[in-house]
Amino acid sequence: MKFTGIAAACLSLLSTACANTSAAGSASSKVVLPSTFKPPQVFNNANLVHIISLEKNYVKESINVLIENASPDPQDEYFLPFTSEQMEKIGGFEVKDRKNSGIVGFTIDAVEFDPSRQLDSDIQFYRIKLPAPLSPKDQQTLGISFYYLHALKPLPASIEQTDKQYLTYAFSAYCHSAYPTLKQKTEIKLPSADVPDYTKIAGNGETKEFPIKQGSKLTYGPFPEVPAGASSPATVRYEFNKPVTHVSQLERDVEVSHWGGNVAFEERYTLFHYGAKLSSQFSRVKWAQSQYFSPQTFALKEMKFVLGAGSKDAYFTDVIGNVSTSRFRVTKREAVLELKPRYPIFGDWKYPFTVGWNADSSNYLKKSGSKFLLKVPFIEGPKQAEGVEYEHVDVRVVLPEGAEAVNFYTTAPETSIIEHSVDIVRTYLDTVGRTVLTIKARNLVDELRDRELIVSYEYSTAAALRKPFVIFTSTMTVFVGMWLLSKLDVSFSTK
Amino acid sequence: MDSSLHELWHTTASGSPFQPAVGKGSQFLVGFVLLLIGLALTGGFAFNRSLVNLPVYGVPAGLAVAFGTVYMFCAVGVYV
Repeated sequence: MKFTGIAAACLSLLSTACANTSAAGSASSKVVLPSTFKPPQVFNNANLVHIISLEKNYVKESINVLIENASPDPQDEYFLPFTSEQMEKIGGFEVKDRKNSGIVGFTIDAVEFDPSRQLDSDIQFYRIKLPAPLSPKDQQTLGISFYYLHALKPLPASIEQTDKQYLTYAFSAYCHSAYPTLKQKTEIKLPSADVPDYTKIAGNGETKEFPIKQGSKLTYGPFPEVPAGASSPATVRYEFNKPVTHVSQLERDVEVSHWGGNVAFEERYTLFHYGAKLSSQFSRVKWAQSQYFSPQTFALKEMKFVLGAGSKDAYFTDVIGNVSTSRFRVTKREAVLELKPRYPIFGDWKYPFTVGWNADSSNYLKKSGSKFLLKVPFIEGPKQAEGVEYEHVDVRVVLPEGAEAVNFYTTAPETSIIEHSVDIVRTYLDTVGRTVLTIKARNLVDELRDRELIVSYEYSTAAALRKPFVIFTSTMTVFVGMWLLSKLDVSFSTK
Repeated sequence: MDSSLHELWHTTASGSPFQPAVGKGSQFLVGFVLLLIGLALTGGFAFNRSLVNLPVYGVPAGLAVAFGTVYMFCAVGVYV
């Protein structure tokens, strides 16, 4: 029985070594169209409400639009225009039916233009494919939401460390659309009522001037019919005395160990503050005073990571080594890691750091038939009231050595997933290396931190026994060597 | 991307949470005892290095060292 197990492990070891386990794929689909492409005028926007939320340090835009098929044929492709600059910064693009949440299956593709031809205009598109074609004169209510990263600019760009920070955002009072819009309004939600500057435009009807300001909300509109492609540039400048936290690169490793019954997490952050720069040198004395008298500041001084229940062994390091200004609070329901960086982070400052923790495999790993299922959050960054934006996210799921038939599913927006690949990585006690699933995503925000990643894989007993088998073989080789050495006669001959 | 995994996770109530053969709390003890047994058996073999003693002492020593090493790695926080 033992012999068959060892033989199976041997065979498995050989077969895995011979097999090519590397595979890669592109997750987000793109449609290539000629540069002269113009969306066919088959829809009308019967009513459109554009909500721009500036409450956090990234821009969240929601477009709730009642679309109507204005052509004599059924239509299922709705185009939404963006400039090339917006396309670089956009993330988390999602569409749902606002009236019936049971309707799913909207396919979203970024339209790419033929690179061999010069672009006629700066306008590019996202194509929304409806789950079912819309019949002539029929209507459907779409809820389109997306985020813009790195779209807020500090004004003034440099301030004193005790000053208030103000940000500006440039937008269009008319929602960009490839179709005529019969009725629309744009709402700007701001973090406070302190809004020193905003663009005023001529009103219509009873309203002489837009926007209408109600506390921390500005409303442009309602506007009467606006043609396709219309734009009305506007800017708003508002108080945002909180950090503009931007993570340019997040490398998140999730390492599964069957022998140890553990799932280890490690996250490496390259964090920047994209807010106002300091106009004079940083003063530690002023900082200590301001923390005592008025703790509200635009510097990033602490972060709070809310981790899953049962998390333990947390650590917080940076390029120097362990950072001792952290607290790890564990309750039955959750574990909270509170960090204070080595220094307060002001505008244009950088702080790379690493956090990590362990958890029991029973919280994240299930066995279902011959398959193992792992469910972890796609991102688990700091939970900040002011928000955090992530430009590049690399999630690496390191599976046990010999895991095969790897598959995954994530509820993170599909348009943000750039590519995925399955590779091999070698680390402690490995012979053929561990199977690694790498998923690359871009332009995510902390609102998506509860999105899940589910990975399935197969892992045989023979593959599990590879590690002890290799150690056993090495030990036996030493014993056989010892025995052979004992057989050598090294004594001096009397002849 | 395989969307069936989402349903599989949420519907697999029967799927049992994965529990390791040796829990985290006992890994050091198991690893230490196995390595100790391995060392003792290696000593036994070293006293009389004969072909007969290879399976009698060598194989159990090898197995004890093999599993002991894996569990000791896990016990010290290197979850292999």
